[in-house]
Formats: sequence, structure tokens, C-alpha cells
Amino acid sequence: MDLIKVKDIFIKELSIEFRQKFALGGVFLFAATVVFLIFKSFNDINPREWTILVWIILLFAGLNAVVKSFLQEKKETYLYYYTLFSPVDLIVAKLLYNFLFLCGIFFIIILFMGLFSGFPVKDPGLFFAGAALGIFGISVVFTFVSVISVSDNGNATLMSILALPLVLPILLLLLKISAVSVRLLTDTAIAEDVWLLFGVDSILLGAMLLLFPALWRS
Amino acid sequence: MGLKGWWWKISGVVIFLYVIIGGMIIPTRAGVTKSEPGSARSGDSVTMVIKAYNTHFLSAGQNRAWLKLDSLHAVKAHLLNAKTENDIQISFNIPEQFPASEKVQPLTLIIDNEIDGAFVQPNALFVTLSDSSIVDKSLWVNAGMNAFNKAKGIKFPYRNILNETIRNTFFHVALWFAMFILLIIGLYHAIQYLRTGNFDHDIQSASYNRIAIMYGVLGLITGSIWAKFTWNTFWTTDVKLNMTAVAMLIYLAYLVLRGSSSDHDKRAKISASYSIFAFLALIPLVFVIPRLTDSLHPGNGGNPALGGEDLDNTLRLFFYPSIIALILLGTWMAVLLIRYERLKEKIFMRN
Repeated sequence: MDLIKVKDIFIKELSIEFRQKFALGGVFLFAATVVFLIFKSFNDINPREWTILVWIILLFAGLNAVVKSFLQEKKETYLYYYTLFSPVDLIVAKLLYNFLFLCGIFFIIILFMGLFSGFPVKDPGLFFAGAALGIFGISVVFTFVSVISVSDNGNATLMSILALPLVLPILLLLLKISAVSVRLLTDTAIAEDVWLLFGVDSILLGAMLLLFPALWRS
Repeated sequence: MGLKGWWWKISGVVIFLYVIIGGMIIPTRAGVTKSEPGSARSGDSVTMVIKAYNTHFLSAGQNRAWLKLDSLHAVKAHLLNAKTENDIQISFNIPEQFPASEKVQPLTLIIDNEIDGAFVQPNALFVTLSDSSIVDKSLWVNAGMNAFNKAKGIKFPYRNILNETIRNTFFHVALWFAMFILLIIGLYHAIQYLRTGNFDHDIQSASYNRIAIMYGVLGLITGSIWAKFTWNTFWTTDVKLNMTAVAMLIYLAYLVLRGSSSDHDKRAKISASYSIFAFLALIPLVFVIPRLTDSLHPGNGGNPALGGEDLDNTLRLFFYPSIIALILLGTWMAVLLIRYERLKEKIFMRN
């Protein structure tokens, strides 16, 4: 892995994103609209609904956004990349970019949810630690699945079919951690769940790094 | 293919027939289904009306019964009156004084005869002490509590709630074991495909995974039916259930993936990587998360694990063969699928 190359690809992704402002704006607008819609239909959101909604909105907004990052490039571009970078550099850069992007969406959602219905989290440390690990896991799964759907001639429906079941274990752990952090549940052994989430993340990351070179060759 | 290649298929069928026939025919041991009254006061003379299951009260020469407080203290019944094979009335004189100080004492009912052997009903009678201050153990003796009979013939254990459904162990539990073995074989072939690029490994991996998924769905169905009879609902919020459902969803997505692409080489590569990824995602799901949370399943949340009294030697006599038979049958089905896919491949190549 070459850190300078990773940085280069990362910056390239970022600059493409900022040049196409409509796409970036579109994702954030999606998140904001959904939050507003939910606020208007629930009127009063209690902590339980709050935590669930944050993750559900993040999941769907993120799914839309991540597919794009791989699908926007042409086949020829990939051939060009193949001559320039090692596959691990490329996937790490894409993963970091997706992670940052999902974090951005997450903070936008939190901001809007906070604006409309308050911030019920009682243990911010736990909440954000869980969120960081969870978003990292989600971005690993999304990146891996978008690689698959690109290999399959850019089939975008495949992305949502494969990604949603795969993020379920991460999401279930996340929901439990956030439920504890808003004091819906009390669990003295919640640190174990955080470690478990970390373990799941590392397994998936390792699997992706091992499998990507094989997929990439096609 | 001569008879040489058939021995494992035949033995798979034979073992599975043995499991079905033996597992369905062998009766469960005797047990108490209902006993009244459920409570009494110390010093009372109680006549308990017992309804039992699979018992032979009339044919047995001598029925005996005790109410047991703990391993040292019990009272013997002074009168037993068998009405039918499965109904009996047992009279006890409960002593005034107890060798214990708690206000309410749960007593275990033990019934014994030479056909059914000894069987127990825990907490059959709750006795409220009228005076708990005096401790006089003289009335509490272990009258003949040692010469228990053994049940005649091979019988499955009787569990309250489980009743006859204990036989589902051979199918529900064995299906999960067999599923995991088949998934591991599929995983091995997926890894081999990515390493060698030999298309035959892709066919094998997909076939084993398909049969494993079928076993998984069957495991869920048998479990769901079992849950209806024991937990009184087809689906609960139990972690193991829901994690397995997630695992099945992940693998159903694998089937969708297999069907999506038309390019053989690409499909093989994608589905091999996905199946490795899915298997790794499965490990925390099925092995780690349920261990951390309470569950209604045996071995979780204070419930007894597989083994001990729940899986006694008579059950083992069918449970382990069942796993072997299901693995053999699953392999057979997978081999049929593999041969079918190979033929399809041959035709595809010729055109």
C-alpha cells in the first residue's frame, strides 16, 4: 500500500465530488427532506424513534451516494487506473472517501434531527464511538458491494439487494449501542458490543482487502 | 458408476430412514402432565389427583410415591389408588414441622414403578408452613428413596413443555449442523476457484451453497413449527432466530446474485467473493452475538445446553446419525446439481 497514491486518489474523488455540486447537494437535500417529512408526520419524535430513524435515513441516503462513486467512472478509466495503482491503494482510497462521505451525511442528519426534534443522547461518547465504528462497517460493506455491482456491468439494483442484508448485523449492533446511549436500555456490558462491532468491522475489512484484487482483475 | 460410488448414498438413505422410523416409534418416558391440588398447608392430609403420560399404573405391580423436600428429606405416600393406566390418586400426610425455615416450601413429586421407572414432577406441591419456628426432623425420613426402578426398554426423555416434540432435535438441530458443514465445503470451493480460476470449483461451490441454503430454510421452518408447540408462537424476538433470519437473507441475496449476471466468468468471480464475504459476516452473527445475549434456546440465558439431561444417550443414538445422514443426503443432492450444471456447461461450450 502506497500512502501517497491513496492520498492522490482520495483527493481526486473529493475534487470530482465538489465539481459536480448537484450530486453532493442532491444527497444532502435527500437527507434533509426525509428528516423534515418524518418530523412533520410524527410531530413528536421520542428517543426510540429518533435513534432508529437516524440510522434508517443514513442507510438509504448512503446507499444512493456510494453507488455513484463507483458507477460514475467509465470502464476505460478503470483500465487506466489498473496501469497506475495497485488495487489495494484504490480500494482503501475509495473506502476512506466513502467513510468520510457517510460521516458527512450522518452529521447533516444529526443536525436536522437536532433542529427539529432535539438531541436525546445522554452518553455522547458511546453514541459517537458506536457511530464511527458502525459507519466504518457500513462503508466497508457498501464499498465492497459497489465493486461487485460495477463488475457486473454497473448493475445498480444489485447494489441495494446485496448491501441491505449484509449491513444488517452492523445495524443491529448499532441500534443496540444507540439505544443504550439514549438510556432506553441499561446494559453494563455495552463495551462488549462496541468491541464486537470493531471485530465485525475488521473481519469485513480484511475480507474486502483480500477479495478486491481478484475482483479487480476482470 | 458402479456400486462402488453408491455406498455413501445408500448409507445416507438407510441412516435417515433409521432416524425417521426409530425417532418416531420409540416412546417417551413416563411423566406427570397435571397434578392437583398445587398447594397445601403443613399438617394437612392431601390426596393428589395425578394425570400422567405414557404410564402403566394398573399393569405395574407396585406403585410408590414420595414428596421430596431436598436430597435428605422426603415423605412417603401412605395410599396409592390407580384409577386407569394414566390416572392415579396419591395420599400424603404432610408433617406439621419442616426441617427448613422458609414460609413456603416447594415439594417435588416422585413416582416409581417397575415398568415406567422413577419419574419426577418438580414443584408439584407448595406447602405453606403453619409454624416455621419449630424444627423437628423426626417425621422426615428418606423412606425407601433409594431402590428406584429403571424404565423398561429404550425410551426418550420426557420433558414438560417439550413432550413428544423432543424428537424434533433429530431434524431441527441436525439440519443446522449439516448446513454448516455444507457451507464450509462451499466456502472451500469458492476459495479454490479464486485461487485456481478453475470453473468447475465455481459449479461445486454454488451447488453446495444452494443445498445449504435449502437446509437453512428447512431448519427455520422446523424450528418455527417447534416454537409453535413449545413457546406458543411461530416467531419470537429471540436473538438466535432473528440472527439466523439475517443470515438466510444474506444467503438469499447470494442466490439473486447467481441469477443476475449472464457472463459466466464474471458471475463466477463475483459470487465466489460474495460467498466468502457472506460466510465471514455469518460468523459473528451466528456464533458471537447470540452468546452475548439472552436467548430462549438451550445453552443461552441460563437454559441448559445441549447435553446433560436434554440430550441423553437415547437421543444421541439418533441425533448423531441424523447429522451424518443429512450431510450425506445433502452431498448427494449437491452432486446431482453439479452434474446437471456440468452438462449445461458442456452444451453451452458446444454452441
